[in-house]
Parts: sequence; structure tokens; C-alpha cells
Amino acid sequence: MKFRRTSKLLVDVPAVASGDIAFNLIVFFLVCASTQPDTGRPQMLPKSEQTQQQQQQQDEHLIVELKRNAVLVNGDPVKTNEVKARVIAKLTGKTRLEDRVVIVKSAKDVPYHNWIEVTSQIEDAGGIITLQLEEERTVDVPQ
Amino acid sequence: MGERYLMKIQRRQMKVDIPSVAMGDIAFNLLVFFVILAQSQDDSHIQWTPAKADNLKGSGYTKVTVTIDKDQKLYLNGQELSEAQLAARIESNLGNAPAGQRKVMLKAHRDCTAAKFEPVIEAISQAGGELVHILEDKKKK
Repeated sequence: MKFRRTSKLLVDVPAVASGDIAFNLIVFFLVCASTQPDTGRPQMLPKSEQTQQQQQQQDEHLIVELKRNAVLVNGDPVKTNEVKARVIAKLTGKTRLEDRVVIVKSAKDVPYHNWIEVTSQIEDAGGIITLQLEEERTVDVPQ
Repeated sequence: MGERYLMKIQRRQMKVDIPSVAMGDIAFNLLVFFVILAQSQDDSHIQWTPAKADNLKGSGYTKVTVTIDKDQKLYLNGQELSEAQLAARIESNLGNAPAGQRKVMLKAHRDCTAAKFEPVIEAISQAGGELVHILEDKKKK
């Protein structure tokens, strides 16, 4: 006598769940894409009080002036891509941190992408950036 | 006269079970929803283009993001504010966080001018923030 097997070995995946699975996958990859970390460049800047002290000794430090279309290192015009080499040459032999301070003076109309390019080169050359900002003073004129 | 037989047909009980299989999916979706909601530093509405540079690193996590948009408007964690308020607001956001956890991201539009971004950098420095410029890798197309 032959017995027929009653249990089926093939089990179908419930088709209803595939929509849910697809939705969850979309959400997962969306979240992953939106939380991609930003890339950047850390920059150490001395605090304002320290900067004032350093500015008193600015004759001893390297000064990089940024104009809209020009870069001056200690008053000499330099091409943007030559700043790193010039700073390395000026800082050679200076081992103390305070000797490696580079004062950056920027004209008001210097765009950020130029500023980043030059300051990145100074940092890559081992310089420590200090910003020199123009102070705004309000003077009351007696009438 | 023939006899009449009445037969009672029982109503089927309408029993609806909530499919327990879907519970996992629902819980996962709720989790994702609240994770997105918790990202309160939403500055996706601010329009800015990063400047390009070499040798960039991952910026990591920070509580404070300062953005200067293409119209030179200033934002702290997605909320517009003035330059005068910036240092104090950054200081209160950073609180007593120890060194290494005082990162402040600066997202400045590539064409904004020194007149705008230098006072912002000064304010971050005054507040004791560790400045990280958010930039795009030059090699990236």
C-alpha cells in the first residue's frame, strides 16, 4: 500500500511582504546617503588675546597679504601656487612654534576659495596662521 | 402536507488577526522616522557651494555648524542670525565640552568675501571652537 506524503516541501515566500521589504530597503539606503560625512580641513587659530600679543611682534613674523587678484609675501608679489615654497624657504630653521607664526592680512573683497587655497599652502608648509583683522572704530565727533 | 425542515446555518465568526509578521517592519519604520527627526541640525535648505582643496579629512561629528550662504547670510545650525550674536551662541552650544569635542564646522560659500567670513572665523575662535572648514576634494569631479 502506498502512502502519499501530505506535507509539501516547497514553501512560497509571501508575495505581500515583498512591497514592505522593497520600501525598507529604499528608506535604508536613503538614510545612508543623507548621512555621508563631510570632508574638511581643521584649522588651529590662536585666540584673540594671544593674537594681540603676537601682533606686537609682527615685525619678526612672516606676513602674507591677500588681495583680490594677488598674493604678497613680506611685500613681494608671489604666484598663488608658489606660496608654499616661499613660506617653506622663510621658515627653514625655525623650530619654535612662536617663530612659525604667519600673519595673514586679507583685503575685504578676497573670495573664500582664494583664501582657503593660500592658507592651506601656509599650513602645509608648517606655518601657524594668525589673522589680522581691520578694527572698526566709531568716533563721535562733537558738534 | 409535507413536513418542513428548517436548517440553521451558523454565521461564520469574523475573526481578524493583526499579522504579527508586519510588526517588525512597523517598528523598523518608526525607528527610521525618529532617527531622521532627531537630526535637528537640518540646513539642507541653505544654498552654498563649497570651495575646493587638497588633503581633506573626514570632519566627524559636531553639534555646531556655521554656514554662510551664496547671499552672504549667516546661519547657526540652520537658523539665521547676525554676526554680533554668533560668538555667544556658539559658546552656549558648546557649553563645557572638553578640547577635542569643541568642533565647529564652517560651511562658507566659495565666493563669499573676507569681509564676511573673517569676522565669523574670529567669533568661532573667541568662543573656543575648534574650526573645521568644510570643503570639497579637488580630485572629486
